[in-house]
Amino acid sequence: MADIEIEIDGNIVNAKAGEMLIAVTDREGISVPRFCYHKKLSIAANCRMCLVDVEGAPKPQPACSTPIADGMKIHTQNEKAKASQKAVMEFLLINHPLDCPICDQGGECELQDVAMDYGSDVSRFTEGKRIVVDSDIGALIQTDMTRCIHCTRCVRFGVEIAGIMEMGGTGRGEDMKIEPFLSEGIQSELSGNMIDVCPVGALTSKPFRYELRSWQMNAVSNIARHDLVGSNIYTQTYKGKVKRIVAKDNDSVNETWISDRDRFSYEGLSHVNRLLTPQIKVEGTWKEVEWNVALDFAIRGLANNVFNTHQSDKLGALASNTATLEEFYLLQKILREVGSENIDHRLNVKDLDHAISLESNIKLAGLEGIDHALVIGSNLRLEQPMISHRLRKANLSGASIDVINAMAFDFNYRLNSENIISPSQTAATLAGVLKSVLQNTNIEVPDYLAQIEVSDITTQLAEKLSQSDNSVIVLGEHIINNPQASSIANLVGEIAQYSNSTTLNVSATANSMAANMAGFVPGKDGLDVNAMLTADLKAYILLDVYPQYDFHHSIQAVEALSNDDTFVISLNSFKDDIVSEYSDVLLPIASFYETSGSHVNIEGKIQSFAAAVNAPSDAKPAWKVLKVLADLLELPGFHYADSAQVTSEVMHQSHKQHTHDESIDVKVKRDVNIIWQKSPYAVDVLSRHAASLQATKIGQINSASMNKATAKKLEVAQNDEYLGVPVDINEAVSNNCVFVNANHSTEAQS
Amino acid sequence: MISNKAKKQIDAWVVKYPEGHQSSAVMEALKLVQAENDNRLTPDTIQAVADYLDMPGIAAAEVATFYENYNHKPVGKHTIRFCHNISCMLNGSDELITYLENKLGVKTGEVTKDGLINVKKVECLGACVGAPMFQIGDQYYENLTADKIDEIVDGLK
Ligand code: SF4
Ligand code: FES
Ligand code: FES
Repeated sequence: MADIEIEIDGNIVNAKAGEMLIAVTDREGISVPRFCYHKKLSIAANCRMCLVDVEGAPKPQPACSTPIADGMKIHTQNEKAKASQKAVMEFLLINHPLDCPICDQGGECELQDVAMDYGSDVSRFTEGKRIVVDSDIGALIQTDMTRCIHCTRCVRFGVEIAGIMEMGGTGRGEDMKIEPFLSEGIQSELSGNMIDVCPVGALTSKPFRYELRSWQMNAVSNIARHDLVGSNIYTQTYKGKVKRIVAKDNDSVNETWISDRDRFSYEGLSHVNRLLTPQIKVEGTWKEVEWNVALDFAIRGLANNVFNTHQSDKLGALASNTATLEEFYLLQKILREVGSENIDHRLNVKDLDHAISLESNIKLAGLEGIDHALVIGSNLRLEQPMISHRLRKANLSGASIDVINAMAFDFNYRLNSENIISPSQTAATLAGVLKSVLQNTNIEVPDYLAQIEVSDITTQLAEKLSQSDNSVIVLGEHIINNPQASSIANLVGEIAQYSNSTTLNVSATANSMAANMAGFVPGKDGLDVNAMLTADLKAYILLDVYPQYDFHHSIQAVEALSNDDTFVISLNSFKDDIVSEYSDVLLPIASFYETSGSHVNIEGKIQSFAAAVNAPSDAKPAWKVLKVLADLLELPGFHYADSAQVTSEVMHQSHKQHTHDESIDVKVKRDVNIIWQKSPYAVDVLSRHAASLQATKIGQINSASMNKATAKKLEVAQNDEYLGVPVDINEAVSNNCVFVNANHSTEAQS
Repeated sequence: MISNKAKKQIDAWVVKYPEGHQSSAVMEALKLVQAENDNRLTPDTIQAVADYLDMPGIAAAEVATFYENYNHKPVGKHTIRFCHNISCMLNGSDELITYLENKLGVKTGEVTKDGLINVKKVECLGACVGAPMFQIGDQYYENLTADKIDEIVDGLK
């Protein structure tokens, strides 16, 4: 678009032809009042608040929907503009209740702000105002629809961003209401953003209702650690407590949106289950003690069980995937310093000999520019909401998306093809795709593909990949425990190479990229997690681990950790009965937003954050605990004054990736496969303790889904329990597959 | 909830629009479904139409609640669609609506006990020259007065 010159309020401004006037005034810092315009949503031009005077135009023009043209002269402040803006303001306030004193939006309300500038101090309206009866739309969003000014931002958000139209404008004229249909409650995993886009107090945060005024809180920039994106947020705090979380703009990460998980998980911080004081187990009973006593006890335990007998290789360290980069780094450094390489964070992987190793080589923002995607083994929308959102954007601008899944999920974009394939056939199917890709490009087909059959499906999938200029293959979490996981990952790598596609590996979650970067993986002589569990280790240091959720082999893990002569030091942010059972020392640590540190997102982007609040009571940031532990062990090289020093040390180290299995096995196996996944709001300990999240539809997902044939084979019926989870007979699941989404602690995973 | 006959008729409308724009047929579809369901729409029938046209329920509800042609409450054999928009209002529609309500012993939105008549306030029917006016079935009745209303309404069977 050509550069043109226009004149705004007497100043010459350069802009691109066709840009909307409001985009130009926003860029130039000229304030034009608005309600319905939102930079990430389509233009509705229904509030008329942005009227400005354009020379030559008979009537004032809405800045949000007036494309600029060369030589245009615009007045945003002259009498005509001001008069129109004031008139619209008066009109909008006619039916607004003006109940600011009891409205949660007060102090951060666009209507309030604009009314200060453009409203009149006396109302000329003496008639009765309309009242809108509210409907309950779920646990996250509070509605006060009498305050709604019908800007339709929330409606457009649903249609355009969330991808499910949930709010709509029913009725007409004075009777128009913004509401969901059938009041089943709002279901979207991004619903909380409606609170941010609503310019008035019609949609506000339900958990935050009547808590505080926005000006009473401090806003601290932070990073959400629930997924591979690391969405940028503000933690709003008051008297040392996180009171609310809102999105922070960062176009290369989360744009202006955040998932509900990122927004509402903070509620868990004040849960009664927080671990608050250090405790040691003396002769089977727990005693609350001072930090130094607990740490001494820990050091003595380690000395007795491993150091004094020169069995450093009998010490293991395990961490959950939500730890910070610095925590991962310090814990592995301690282990390596004392001579153990038994370090692992991949607790949820069944078979680490066949672990997935696949690099991602596309940027988040780059996902919008793709023209084709093949998603394998992922319910992307609920697992990685912001990544799914980028794919949706690509899809809306023309990209085709193919899916290979073990179960049909609700995608909020149109799929080119959805291939529901039993997990035991995933490898064979991908092998077929690879073969088709190779045949397309006239490359010789290697032996292991000789027996593989090429079907219509594989040819089509391959053609799409080969023909697209900019395609991506997304490898998802459901694959990690596929018996052929490494083969699948290797096949994806090959397919990507020969079809010129990029790859995105979303199979490991939360902050696991940081774990890899920090070297929190077994060394050459070290044991991986599953090997540790059978190796009769004499001591463990566990970082925020909750076995019944985190381990794939949870029963085995609890058994190994409960062994009488195994000394277990647990750093936990929450209390947990099983953890208390097997631990010898409990060290209370800071949770999300209570510690400084870094998140590494799927691009490898390191995003550091400061603590927004102090950890409650005696709990301490884990990086500090680990540092002191190292000091007490008299290990060299732990003189860090703050976590940033740790960060820079990590950045100067390079840890080689764990070696991986390069063989490719493409045989179809016939046994029943279990895909086990924590439900979307149970992925980490904080989300699990966030009451409002748990009260949503997504929060209640808890089922072992299988089709009739599989149920018959396993001899279970609807609502029976399978692996401790209610059975849901569902023909959306492929044959020979049980898809488990568990939201609570369960007995076993396999 | 949607008869096969109605589905066929809806399909005939769908093909008139470009592919992927089947939801454009929503108005006709709602009309057809309303006609075969006691002349009114319920959340269930609206959802059924939405499902049939592969569109969100709320989007169909927006249409169904916007236009006066759709009924959301039980209706009588005859619906008197009384215009209360600006021209009619200036010419006394409000008083005449009250008159009619008193005459029938029902409020707008209610059905007479014998199930014969209900009154509905509607927006401009494009007959402002003859304001105040109402519509019964396909027939417009203009330049209404109390006497004229008596005559028309008494003649309804
Ligand atoms: S609820 Fe808020 S965002 Fe939605 S239309 Fe009303 S004012 Fe706009
Ligand atoms: S912001 Fe321009 S009309 Fe609403
Ligand atoms: S206002 Fe009644 S017909 Fe136009």
